[in-house]
Amino acid sequence: MAKPRVAIFDFTGCEGCELNQLNFEDQLLDILAHVDIVEWREAMDGHADEYDIAFVEGSLSTPDCIKRIHEVRRKAKVLVALGACAVQGGINGVKNTHPIEEVREEVYGEDKYLFPTLPALAVSSVVKVDYNVRGCPMTQLEFLKVFTALVLGKEPIEPEHSVCVECKLKENECVYARGMICLGPVTRAGCDAHCPTVGQYCTGCRGLVPEPNLKAMEEILVEHGLNVDEAWKRLQLFNANEIEGVRS
Amino acid sequence: MVQFFLESERVTELVTHLKGQKPVFAPHRKGRKSFAFERVEDAADVVLDYPRVMHSIRKFFLPPRETLMTFDLAENDFSTADVQPSDAIFFGVHSYDLGAVHRLDYNLGKGHPEKNYITRRQGAVFVGVSFEPDAYHFCGSVGIDPMDTSGFDIFLTKLLDGYIVEALTEVGEQLLNGLDLPAHEAGKPARGNFQQHIYLPQAKLNEVMAKSYDNPVWAETAEKCVGCGTCNLVCPTCYCFNVEDTVNIQATGGTRDRHWDGCMLREFTGVAGGEVFREHLADRQRHRVFRKFKYISDETGQPWCVGCGRCTAYCTAGISIVNIVNRLVGDYEKVAVTPI
Ligand code: SF4
Ligand code: SF4
Ligand code: SF4
Ligand code: SF4
Repeated sequence: MAKPRVAIFDFTGCEGCELNQLNFEDQLLDILAHVDIVEWREAMDGHADEYDIAFVEGSLSTPDCIKRIHEVRRKAKVLVALGACAVQGGINGVKNTHPIEEVREEVYGEDKYLFPTLPALAVSSVVKVDYNVRGCPMTQLEFLKVFTALVLGKEPIEPEHSVCVECKLKENECVYARGMICLGPVTRAGCDAHCPTVGQYCTGCRGLVPEPNLKAMEEILVEHGLNVDEAWKRLQLFNANEIEGVRS
Repeated sequence: MVQFFLESERVTELVTHLKGQKPVFAPHRKGRKSFAFERVEDAADVVLDYPRVMHSIRKFFLPPRETLMTFDLAENDFSTADVQPSDAIFFGVHSYDLGAVHRLDYNLGKGHPEKNYITRRQGAVFVGVSFEPDAYHFCGSVGIDPMDTSGFDIFLTKLLDGYIVEALTEVGEQLLNGLDLPAHEAGKPARGNFQQHIYLPQAKLNEVMAKSYDNPVWAETAEKCVGCGTCNLVCPTCYCFNVEDTVNIQATGGTRDRHWDGCMLREFTGVAGGEVFREHLADRQRHRVFRKFKYISDETGQPWCVGCGRCTAYCTAGISIVNIVNRLVGDYEKVAVTPI
């Protein structure tokens, strides 16, 4: 059986999710044993005309990004979004909460006309995404889970439930009991409740659960005497695109 | 049954005495306001006066996560996990939590018996302690008294300055051997009052629930619910789980693991082919409550909720199972007395 051909692309992100940043030294040979990497700007020259799996990092925020992602999608059999920016627009989405002209002026000043910009979009809002590796940054463990499933020809399973589930499995004391705002109830699990486990609140970096009950979430904040506006600002940090229109 | 008296200061001595015979698991402080059952290293860390632990002792027999087997793809072989009898003392257990263990024994022992659970249940010794009902307990309404000693090997009943100690089984008696305790003569104290009640007489249980399928309370509750599944995960009579296989990166083998799951979670109601049986939170909430008061109860005649109050106490949205059930009873009574 021929090895799957893999291509890796980066768009707008902080590079925290880039595969070469994840300390894969121990697994790299194992990964390479399963696949042929045919395109990867950071590590090699050249372009490929076709690939079985495309891994995409970063959000889409310029007209050029949109052009490139369509090309990636055309050539890829399977497209996987890596990290919060690619999956839901991530932190870059904060830009979308301000008028785009203001953002251009602020960032590029006089040169703003040289740099066309768009709201920061999730890859899935432009082309079809087959699988996600969530998180900011995504973790090695979750990447390997999805990667292994794909090379074995299995469907990667993405949790739909909230961070509270993993938090409860660990018998953590809920941070609401300590007067903190936690976005765990509407945030997708998969991180093993990383933040609440170390006594921190969840900021929703993995995106929202499908069909989040944000009205009920708001009630929870009110009932606990917490600041709803502050909570919504936190939710915007990683999920500006996901909550757009739900509450301004 | 002979009753002894144990001064509060001597609890540590009792724990140390037991610990010398078998491993002891008991409530410890966890976080700022919580308590959890943990293995006793230092007897002084044991807390007997606690309202509730997030996870009942169920977690020792049916752990939140466990590996069921490891498999080898190259050899096409597998080996199941080495599960051992617990053979330990569970110290400071509340009566409702032992009631929950007995319910799990029923569910996991019948049909296709749950081997791992049954194995771990072996050699478990239970030392109970009475408790003051708090703002969430309502076990009195489902027939479980805070001073109910049934099923325990040893029971401690709280007094102002100590505990009445009773050995209720031979195992319990033997464990107390060698401990010099004065006899207790004065009888038992009155038990504390419950602040929470469900008004559902057992004789009417099946009937009320049979009339509750279309009650509007399900949809009303769903509006406030975030579907986080906490109410399932903390319930001592819940036993549902999901099983997942993980293959290592070399693709030479892996593990089959399971973890707790719950009927409030949408994925749980999904089946192969993508069909989801209970799409809406209202359907799932009804299913959860029916699992505690109807489905198994129709079979056994008993509520499967032990009134621990956890699902309400830990629900961030403040959804109360007591309010839900009382609403069902109230609506049933209204309809029952309405002339046709
Ligand atoms: S700390 Fe956050 S994630 Fe954990 S149970 Fe509480 S709300 Fe849920
Ligand atoms: S707990 Fe929340 S913020 Fe922290 S890693 Fe998990 S999803 Fe991200
Ligand atoms: S704990 Fe509360 S919010 Fe969470 S699923 Fe249960 S009822 Fe809904
Ligand atoms: S349904 Fe709620 S009150 Fe009843 S046993 Fe379960 S967690 Fe306790």
